[in-house]
This record gives sequence, structure tokens and C-alpha cells, in this order.
Amino acid sequence: MPEYYVLMFKSVTGAMQAEKILKKSAIPFKIIPLPKTISTDCGICIRFEAEQLESIKLALASKVEYSDIRKI
Amino acid sequence: MTYKINAAGLQCPEPVILAKKGIESHGDIEITVDNDTAVENIGRLGTKLGCKMNIVKGEKGLYHINIKNCTEAASIISTPEGCRETGSENTGGPVVVISGDTMGKGNDELGRILMKAFIHTILEADTKPGSIIFYNSGVKLAAAGSDVAGDLVELEKTGVEILICGTCAAFFGMKDNIAAGHISNMYDIVNYLTAAARIIQP
Repeated sequence: MPEYYVLMFKSVTGAMQAEKILKKSAIPFKIIPLPKTISTDCGICIRFEAEQLESIKLALASKVEYSDIRKI
Repeated sequence: MTYKINAAGLQCPEPVILAKKGIESHGDIEITVDNDTAVENIGRLGTKLGCKMNIVKGEKGLYHINIKNCTEAASIISTPEGCRETGSENTGGPVVVISGDTMGKGNDELGRILMKAFIHTILEADTKPGSIIFYNSGVKLAAAGSDVAGDLVELEKTGVEILICGTCAAFFGMKDNIAAGHISNMYDIVNYLTAAARIIQP
């Protein structure tokens, strides 16, 4: 099993903006519901493999505000 | 002379396959089964073939189904009935209907993101549906290159049947570009919906 991280947002609007940007960047990711063990305001998050961590941060830097990144 | 088949202990789709083969080669048959799903599936087969049927409930939960005088040749049915949920027996699971590429109505962008999360969650769920039917813009989700194409391929591997409305796939110009599932038609879609014990429409 690959190691996954999730990118969390304050609202689903943030997730939607991030999705748009990441789609253009060709970084592999997946839209998933927030794992039950984590609770935030927004139930949708972006899951990606550990190796994409830096490129995701870079792609979204100063464009989309995310609330947290966590390993799942 | 009625040909006897013992299908007790066999799970769907075996009883209905045996019944079909029996009718094909022997005409009149009596088949013994031990579950409601088999009774219903064989019942549907008999109805399709215009047969006279008599079901006798025997001991130890056995059913003896007598099938005779079929007006249609069993060979008109190319594939046996699917294994669908009947009554309390959960063999086929519910049917999920995806009638658009959004989950709910209101904001399409939001709906599309919710739909992705929904399909991902079905894949992760312990209880999977028996089948998923895609129609109208829902078929786009099953196109090669769709964000959920991978999930659908995985779902198919777990035994979930994926039906794609052929008319819709043609309308969106993706009939030759399906990532998962098989192209289906209104007859199958209606059959699945009417036979379903539960229908889930996100």
C-alpha cells in the first residue's frame, strides 16, 4: 500500500479550487471524502501519495488556502 | 418424463443456469433449490420462456419447481439472469443509479466533486452494490480518462456489474471509449431496476 496524505480545506470551495489547479499540473491525486477519523468543517479532501507532497504544496502555494495536510 | 435437477446447496447463478440448460435439452424439468433467490431467478426464466410453473415447498427449506410446456426455446436467452437481491436475501446487493455526472442538483461544480467522493466511497465500502447503472451525463464518469475511471475498474474487479446506457454513450461520443463496464440498453436497464429490491440514486 502506498503512503497517502490528505489535504484538507476549510470549505468545499477550497477543495474545488485546488482540484482545478492540480488537474492542470498533472500531479496525480484523488478527491475523497474526509476519513471518518478526521473531523473538520469540510467533508471533502484531496488524497495523494507521499511522494507528491512537495509538488502539491508548491502548486497550491499562495493560490489556495488549505487548512491542514495529514498522513492517513 | 420430467427431467430432475438437484440444485440445492448451489448459489446464484448456478441454479438458473442449470434450469436453462435443463429446459434446453430436456424440455420439462423439475429443479430442486434451497433459496428464495434461486426460486425468483428461475421464476423469471420460466416467465420469459412462457412455461407453466408449479412451485412446491418441500421439507428442510427445499423448493421443487416444476417447469413444463415452455412456449419459447431456452436458447432465446443468451445469458442467464443476474444474481440480484430478492426478499431478505442479500445476494446481489442494491442497484446504484447514476443519472448524471453530479451528485444532487444545484451547483454542478460541487455536484461533480461530490460524485467523485461518492464513487470512491462505494469502492471502499464493505457492502458493495450488485450493479451500477450509468445513464444521461452519468456515462461520462465511465469514459476513459474520467477521474473515477480507476475506481470503476476496481469496482468491476470486486464483482460489481457496471451497465452503461449505450444511447447516452453514443450521444456523448464515447461509445468506443469506455474505461469500465459494458454498453447496455433500455431493456436491461428496466429489467435491473424492476428486479431491484433497493435502488440508490445519489
